[in-house]
Amino acid sequence: MADLISYVIRKILLAIPVILLATFIVFLMLYLTPGDPIVNILPPHASADDIAKLREKYGFDEPFIVQYGKFLARLVQGDLGQSVSRQTLNLAVGDLILQRLPKTLELMAIGLGISYSIGIPLGVYSALKQNTWKDRSVMVFTLVAYAMPSFWLGILLMLLFAVYLGWLPIEGTVGGFNSIILPAMTLGLGNAALTTRMMRSSMLEVQRQDYITQLRSRGLPEREVIFKHALKNAILPVITVIGLDIGWFVAGAVVVETVFSWPGLGLLVTNSINNYDFPTVQGCILVLAMFVVFGNLMADILYAFADPRVRLG
Amino acid sequence: MRLRKGLNDRLLRWKMAGGAKEVIAGMVQRGSRNIMVVIGASIIIVMVALAVLAPVLPIADPTPSEVHPEDQTLPPHWFRYFGYNVSKGDGHLFGTDELGRDVFSRVIWGARVSLLVATLAVFFSMVIGVLLGLTAGYFGGWVDYIIAGTIDLFWTFPAFLLALAFAAALGPSLTNVILAISISYWAGFARLMRGQALSVRERLYVEASRALGARNIRIMFTHVLPNCLAPLIVWASVGVADAITIESSLSFLGVGTQPPTPSWGYMLYRGIPYLEEAPWMATFTGLVLLITILGFNLLGDGLRDVLDPRMKGMRR
Repeated sequence: MADLISYVIRKILLAIPVILLATFIVFLMLYLTPGDPIVNILPPHASADDIAKLREKYGFDEPFIVQYGKFLARLVQGDLGQSVSRQTLNLAVGDLILQRLPKTLELMAIGLGISYSIGIPLGVYSALKQNTWKDRSVMVFTLVAYAMPSFWLGILLMLLFAVYLGWLPIEGTVGGFNSIILPAMTLGLGNAALTTRMMRSSMLEVQRQDYITQLRSRGLPEREVIFKHALKNAILPVITVIGLDIGWFVAGAVVVETVFSWPGLGLLVTNSINNYDFPTVQGCILVLAMFVVFGNLMADILYAFADPRVRLG
Repeated sequence: MRLRKGLNDRLLRWKMAGGAKEVIAGMVQRGSRNIMVVIGASIIIVMVALAVLAPVLPIADPTPSEVHPEDQTLPPHWFRYFGYNVSKGDGHLFGTDELGRDVFSRVIWGARVSLLVATLAVFFSMVIGVLLGLTAGYFGGWVDYIIAGTIDLFWTFPAFLLALAFAAALGPSLTNVILAISISYWAGFARLMRGQALSVRERLYVEASRALGARNIRIMFTHVLPNCLAPLIVWASVGVADAITIESSLSFLGVGTQPPTPSWGYMLYRGIPYLEEAPWMATFTGLVLLITILGFNLLGDGLRDVLDPRMKGMRR
């Protein structure tokens, strides 16, 4: 157990530079943005003196590294700055994000559920029927589903279920639970392809192990061998990467929320980009990056928990 | 002495060329027996040919200067079999968009943009990745410590999220999209290269080369790099597929290629409000996009299976 704890602490420490890089990139964003923020605030006829004064007031005249330090200091206090978009002028970015966060979490959770409830059974099925036409069709499905850009998949689902069949609402959240089905499906399906592939190869791997052969030779019914013994071990590596999937979902959420006008963080990013509201974009990207860091950390820890060998590595 | 050095030089250069040629010849030969490679390569060849030949193909102008109201959202001519009224839609294979422009022609011109952006972005990230990965793996020590750390940092983040941040900050333009994808995507190449360099630098022939007095730069580029050519090509193929996805996603979100330049992502975005009225706008564009991405993925997956059966089915 002690080795597990030291492993977890090591991994958490290793996550710190990643978080710092994320803050640095996000800070760099404002620097790279064309146009001077001060000039944008002031009226066009402002004198050079006024500009200099305001620049001093906001600390823009200080060296890059000092500004970055101050940015970090504010960040540690949970201050993400204020929105500069017309609709949400001067509102705290942190509040805007907190408002949207539950919607994104909801979408990601249901998407994850869909992805695993399709991927795992399909992967097992495919492995059991290895090299038959059934297996091949599953593999073709995963190839296509993986290559499918999420926004196009979203459009197709919209066209089928909302426009032609009229079963589900086309966008927004007015339909209650029905509203989340299409976006979550769009988000989950691409990842289901990855899960299917992993589950299949993991299952094939386990079936080659000696203890499975031994169980079979003892005359255990095939059903019991597969579901009671093989599946248990095969599913472990698939479940442990659940954290890595978060990275996929974070990137996917930005696009999917835009397609379906789902009022989460992703839509906030897109709208803020279009409104040149960079403090909000910064904040959102930082929060999304934290998701990724957290997901990776979770994957590492789960993996170490499941497989004691990696703790010592 | 000088003469021998010159000879040695030429011999080495020749051998290196032979090595690269051999690798590619081997890939073609073995790849042609793999169904995935054949399908993938065929799709890519057709798409590239269409994209390159777009200016001379007998297709409509993708960005006509004037809008003809009577041409707006005309269905494809073969939609008559589905009960659409296509009295005016002659000659539009994929129909027309909300401004009366020919969707088929815009899809083909969009391929030019997508393929150009994706190829250049992958090329630049490959250059960054190869240089950094090679340096880190070959020299080891504190150089490796710093570079490997940076690689891991960039590898952790989804390339799309990084590219979105950079593209949003730099402002929308074709060059900035290429730049944004290149900065976000190089880590994969660097990881690959570093791993290979680490294993190759211990080989006897590297030692022999060093004993003969070859300098580090020379060993890196004549011995280590050619040995990584095959996996690099595989990565590049999958990379182009990813870059096309990222480019079209960025354009879809409005931070990529800007109108009126035809781009797949933006065309799909414009298609959403017209889903009921003109579903052909989004569906066909997306279909071509999917087929293109599939082509590069198939080529990459197939080549990997051919080159290294141990890596079969591994992808994360």
